[in-house]
Amino acid sequence: MGEATRTESRRTRWSPAGGPVRAVAVALAVVALCCAAWAGFSWYGAAHDDTLGYAATRDEVRAAGEQAVQNLNTLDHRELDSGLDSWEESTTGDLRDQLRKGREQFEKQIRRARTVTSARILSSAVAELDERAGRAGMLIAVRTTVKAPKEKPATKQTRMRGELTRTGEGWKLSALEQVPVGYTATEPDERD
Amino acid sequence: MRGPRAMLERRRPGRRPPLLSVAARLSAALEGRRARWCAVAVLVPALAAGSGFLVRAGQLTGSTAAGNAALTDRAATSRVSGEVQDALARIFSYTPEGLAGTEQAADELLAGKAERQYEALFGQVEERARKQKLTLATRVVGVGVTRLHEDRAHLLAFLDQTTYRAGREPARAAAQLSVTARRQNGDWRIVALTAR
Repeated sequence: MGEATRTESRRTRWSPAGGPVRAVAVALAVVALCCAAWAGFSWYGAAHDDTLGYAATRDEVRAAGEQAVQNLNTLDHRELDSGLDSWEESTTGDLRDQLRKGREQFEKQIRRARTVTSARILSSAVAELDERAGRAGMLIAVRTTVKAPKEKPATKQTRMRGELTRTGEGWKLSALEQVPVGYTATEPDERD
Repeated sequence: MRGPRAMLERRRPGRRPPLLSVAARLSAALEGRRARWCAVAVLVPALAAGSGFLVRAGQLTGSTAAGNAALTDRAATSRVSGEVQDALARIFSYTPEGLAGTEQAADELLAGKAERQYEALFGQVEERARKQKLTLATRVVGVGVTRLHEDRAHLLAFLDQTTYRAGREPARAAAQLSVTARRQNGDWRIVALTAR
């Protein structure tokens, strides 16, 4: 008798309104599971979407390029060492070798001229990006201000073309040049 | 005569929607207390993981990088950069005899703020070009798409401009422009120009 009441009371506790309510609850649970599975699929799709990955790389390249060009156009004669170190850290390949080679002489020049150069990136765009090869081309418009002692600060706008290469520590500048007037562009489309 | 009989018939399991009948069978299988705990133990982590995945997927697909089609959509990118390149070369090139042609091109290729700016500028240029026999040739030496959305794009363009004047050496100048373009009826038009 006691046993029967216990079972009875347990049943009423678990399903107060009987079958249909429980069926609906289970149905909802099944739907919820399906939604969870769908969410998993959509995440998997997004995480393995090449276009999304490419877009993220493009933005990464652009940020790295802007920062590197900013670094290479910033130099304070009072903090030469750290400034030139950041030049080397922002670059790789030929450009880095060039900077290293010319460092000593350049240091002397700046010490003598006692200039402070600062830069502001005005605009930039990634023009080409080869994810597999780990190479990218960028256009950058930059304004540099050079302050020399006893002189008015000189400001100039420059247009630059940079090439970035992927390294173990992210994207770095492997070439940087001012685009001169009369420059003949190599069409990116022709390189494909 | 839709009395209690009809009601009863409707409640027969075979007549239930398939999901509910599956659920009824499942719920029958989940009689025991342990089985129910199992169900909860599966559901809760599944839902937690599901919401996690949804949030992460939303971050991936809704990021600013994902919304920007520059370079990722190759066809659209090369189309907008080609059209803007062409437009810049046309509106910033003129000959003393062909001023009307340049003005007409600007009319077709510019819109909004850029059109008003250009009109103000062109008024001054027109007079000088006629009097001094000026010819301006503009060539785009570099262009890159910074941002591209469905019908709006931001570009950076590098221009070479050469001015020819009768009896003088041609003068060359470099220019950098930030360009905002908008697509109207399938064609890209320049709506804002900023010298950089």
